[in-house]
Amino acid sequence: MSGQHQLAGTTLRSRMADAVADDRLRTNVARAVDRFATHRREGLAELEDPDGLRSAARALKQQVLADLPGLLERFADQVLARGGHVCWAPTADDARSYVVDVVRRHGATRVAKSKSMATEEIDLNTALEAAGAQVVETDLGEWIIQLADETPSHIIAPALHRDRHQIHDLFVDTVGAEPALGTEPTELVGFARGRLREVFLAAEVGITGANIAVAETGSIVLVTNEGNGRLVTALPPVHVVVLGMERLAADWAQAELLLALLARSATGQRLSSYTNIVTGTRGDGEVDGATELHVVILDNGRSQLLAGEYHEMLACIRCGACLNVCPVYRQVGGHAYGWVYPGPMGSVLTPLLAHDQPEAAELAGASTLCGACMDACPVQIPLQDLLLSLRRRKAEGAGAAERAAWGAWAAAWSDARRYGATTRLATWGRMVAPLAGRLPVGRSWGAGRTVPRPAARRFRDRWREGM
Amino acid sequence: MTGTEHGDRARFLAPARELLSGGIHPNPVHAPPPAPLPSDPVPEAVYVNLDPGDLVTSFADAVAHAEGVCHVVGGDVPDRLLDRVVDELGERGDTPVVVSAEPEARAVGERLAARGLRVAPATPATAAAAGLGVTSAVAAIAATGSVVLDSRRAGGRVASLLPSVHLCVVPVSRLYATPADVLRRLGSGADALPPSLVVVTGPSRTGDIEQLLTLGAHGPTALHVVLMTDGQDASPTSGSAAV
Repeated sequence: MSGQHQLAGTTLRSRMADAVADDRLRTNVARAVDRFATHRREGLAELEDPDGLRSAARALKQQVLADLPGLLERFADQVLARGGHVCWAPTADDARSYVVDVVRRHGATRVAKSKSMATEEIDLNTALEAAGAQVVETDLGEWIIQLADETPSHIIAPALHRDRHQIHDLFVDTVGAEPALGTEPTELVGFARGRLREVFLAAEVGITGANIAVAETGSIVLVTNEGNGRLVTALPPVHVVVLGMERLAADWAQAELLLALLARSATGQRLSSYTNIVTGTRGDGEVDGATELHVVILDNGRSQLLAGEYHEMLACIRCGACLNVCPVYRQVGGHAYGWVYPGPMGSVLTPLLAHDQPEAAELAGASTLCGACMDACPVQIPLQDLLLSLRRRKAEGAGAAERAAWGAWAAAWSDARRYGATTRLATWGRMVAPLAGRLPVGRSWGAGRTVPRPAARRFRDRWREGM
Repeated sequence: MTGTEHGDRARFLAPARELLSGGIHPNPVHAPPPAPLPSDPVPEAVYVNLDPGDLVTSFADAVAHAEGVCHVVGGDVPDRLLDRVVDELGERGDTPVVVSAEPEARAVGERLAARGLRVAPATPATAAAAGLGVTSAVAAIAATGSVVLDSRRAGGRVASLLPSVHLCVVPVSRLYATPADVLRRLGSGADALPPSLVVVTGPSRTGDIEQLLTLGAHGPTALHVVLMTDGQDASPTSGSAAV
């Protein structure tokens, strides 16, 4: 997996520490996730037995994953029958070169994109720009971070780490907004609307992801609030979809249940403003719509997760609910994780997709294992179990010294006499406990902690002597 | 015309087929429930805000909940609504109104033209310059306050997308209770799906600046739905955006 970002010269620990020290960032992130979490609770409360629906959604996703190869064939056949082109892309590189080839073949220099995490994952923009195309993100949050040369800090609200003043200054510095432009959201949005309208009207190719692909009709479902998903598919003559291979629903009954949960889990809305169902190309008698449709079906490490311990991670519908309830995400935001997918879902997915990159494995430690993520997940992915299991996997790959230390500990405490000896030893800790944080060993652990001072005499000794 | 296929389908699917052939072994701690049998229906959501005995009121409330404006009218679109359009747009020199190809929308267009407004069929060029786009809908959904637009019937997408105000006229005979009533029929209909079917729930919006609701991101800033019933007028139910 590509999509690694801003890791150079940093560690997960240093990025987290920097984020925690940034008060403005923490204020922005906390304000955003609290709003999302409140709206989600209110939205789900309008459904009877939401947990029953979540459980049904989990079961139907199991069924989809078990049947995935057959469903993908059915979906592809339907797309082909409706005149769309299909590209099977086992790797990120295969997907990138196909899309670049489509853009080149049309001699296109202007590409409009609607928000897509899959294209972030494969870093498509860099490849398109290298091929000479100007790529503009049209989701407002994505546009903001594109102008700031940043990556998304949240999977559904990419610019949530920035407040209105920062966005105002960015517009002035990068796209020639008048400094007199107001900082009210309506004014900032109005400015962006005007600028991006020109992009939609001029673009030769539109690129989107897909929230759901429905096998029975070969349809792509694109959910947006801004309408950019509609504009990108209505105005440019060529539409390219980058579809993660796991985002399938067998039929419209399954798709409908997922849609009932998606918007409520993401923003608390009953439905997002636009649930756009694209099936094939522009029809006879239509004045707009792409005349050429390409669907790139992306594996990029996903198929390796099927059937095994981590396969439920492929059920993720990318709503962002787990980010909004995560106590770690709330404190640090998305960039500190250092990869495209942040928060609990990212901490599971990234080490799995980027299994060849050792820095990814440490993400499993970026959680408290409190389980709030699984409670919020609309398809009940057991995120905390998967995080724990990834930690175990990482520990098995730990260095000889660490394994020897834990082995010695296990040997000592599996014997009553040796256990007793260690607790006696602990009473000596009285002398060093107040120094924690100043000793050469464990300094970062001890800093900020008050280490309790062990008792002078052990409880078992006092008990034996009648207290 | 059939599309073309690129890459090797069989080779792409082979790893997934091989892994799945041995059965699924999920994480054992919170193991998933058994997968439903193919004959098990996918459960439908039950909406607390929906009154199955009064879909019209539920719909009007839900449109307002989504920041739209619902006008429940007996019979046709009332004159006073069209007069409001003329008041808002009459001073503009360009073509202020575009209409979709649907007969309900064309009828509204003719009545606006009779009041002296320039009205044009929607194309990307005319719609980009227009202040009002008029369409109909193939369905309306009471539980969510949505209208469902069909590009085949409307002759395209831009009438509901580019103008700053979208006016959608829909007869009550097309009002359904829930999204399931509309979406779950899509696979089984005799007609294939249109190139674009869009479920519109309120006007365009963004929360990307401090998660504050801001209307009119890329699509219409205001959505007016005229629900044509056989009964009495009762409008507008709520909302303050002007046509």
